[in-house]
Amino acid sequence: MKTITYLSFALCAVLAVGCATVPKELVDARQAYDQASRGPAAKLAPEALSRAQEALTQAEASYADRPTSYHTKDLAYSAQRKAQMAEVQAGIVAARKQGKQASKEFQAAQAQIISKTKSDLDKSREENNRLLMALGKFGTVREESRGIVMTLSGSVLFAFNQSTLLPSAQTTLKQVAETILGSEGRRLLVEGHTDSIGSASYNYRLSQRRADAVRSFLISSGYPSELIEARGIGKDRPVASNANAEGRANNRRVEIIILREPGK
Amino acid sequence: MRYLHMVAIAGCLSAVSAIIGCATDAEAKQGPAPTSPSINAAEEAGATKIPSASFYLGLAKEELTAAQKLAADDEKEKAVSLLLRADADAQLAAALAHEDAEKTDATETMARVKQLRQDNQMPVSDDRSNP
Repeated sequence: MKTITYLSFALCAVLAVGCATVPKELVDARQAYDQASRGPAAKLAPEALSRAQEALTQAEASYADRPTSYHTKDLAYSAQRKAQMAEVQAGIVAARKQGKQASKEFQAAQAQIISKTKSDLDKSREENNRLLMALGKFGTVREESRGIVMTLSGSVLFAFNQSTLLPSAQTTLKQVAETILGSEGRRLLVEGHTDSIGSASYNYRLSQRRADAVRSFLISSGYPSELIEARGIGKDRPVASNANAEGRANNRRVEIIILREPGK
Repeated sequence: MRYLHMVAIAGCLSAVSAIIGCATDAEAKQGPAPTSPSINAAEEAGATKIPSASFYLGLAKEELTAAQKLAADDEKEKAVSLLLRADADAQLAAALAHEDAEKTDATETMARVKQLRQDNQMPVSDDRSNP
């Protein structure tokens, strides 16, 4: 309706001034308003577009009255800018909408992540409890910051000074492997430890061979090789005194660590 | 918004009154670059830092200077009329600066969403990085 009014007004203005040359400013203003009214401004910035229309109407009125006056040109110039402003205003509204939508998406994604993290933590706790219970049947089990640590006595696994698994140990390890396989995807670290008798280099090599033997057995039982690392620690990390036989026996051990997954 | 617009025009007209009033004052002729509420608003919106906005801000300043000269030459009506241009240009400059800021904000927020999704291995929605 407004457009019809405007067009009628423009037509009257044209008839009124006859063949007078239309100032460039007014031509540009008409074109700018036409462009703005056909674009997103009509929907997103109707008030700004309405102001542009009012300004153009004023310029047309001035043109009808004084076609070549500087004031007509200035009014038309101002009307053109107002039409441009309507388009810019529409851009602002569109950008704000997108920003708001993006903020909503960000919050939704955050909520989703928090929910998933909670759920993963619950699952992880349940899984850890299951492992602690199940592995406790085969050796000493404890939970540390690096993960679940299962300690197997060296004398149960290997003959003195040897790195070949005893047949009885294989049965135990087989059951351990089956239990751990239930938590597929978790990385394992097998650490070999010795007592303090003998040189550091000898103990290091022996502990590495023993850790390797346990690793190989777990792999042969079906655990993915890329998820198991074996490390010989030698006599560097005793858990008991090496001054007596009982303490030394405790220090001769293999630890299977089910590593904590990052962020859990 | 309409109220602000009216205030801006009123401010601009009061600026021209001041210019006209001081037209004979030598200090007004040779002093610092003339300004108006609309030009100030555009500058505060950051128009000097955005090329498209800076262009219109430049025009507004030139027109204001020209209006000042006209006022000094006792062409008060022409001066007031020319200020319509200065005001319109300054307002457009301010709007362009606001638009740029809004677009930048939106783009940054969308980038944060994308990054958050990527970091957490969530499906990334369609790319709308150019609002």
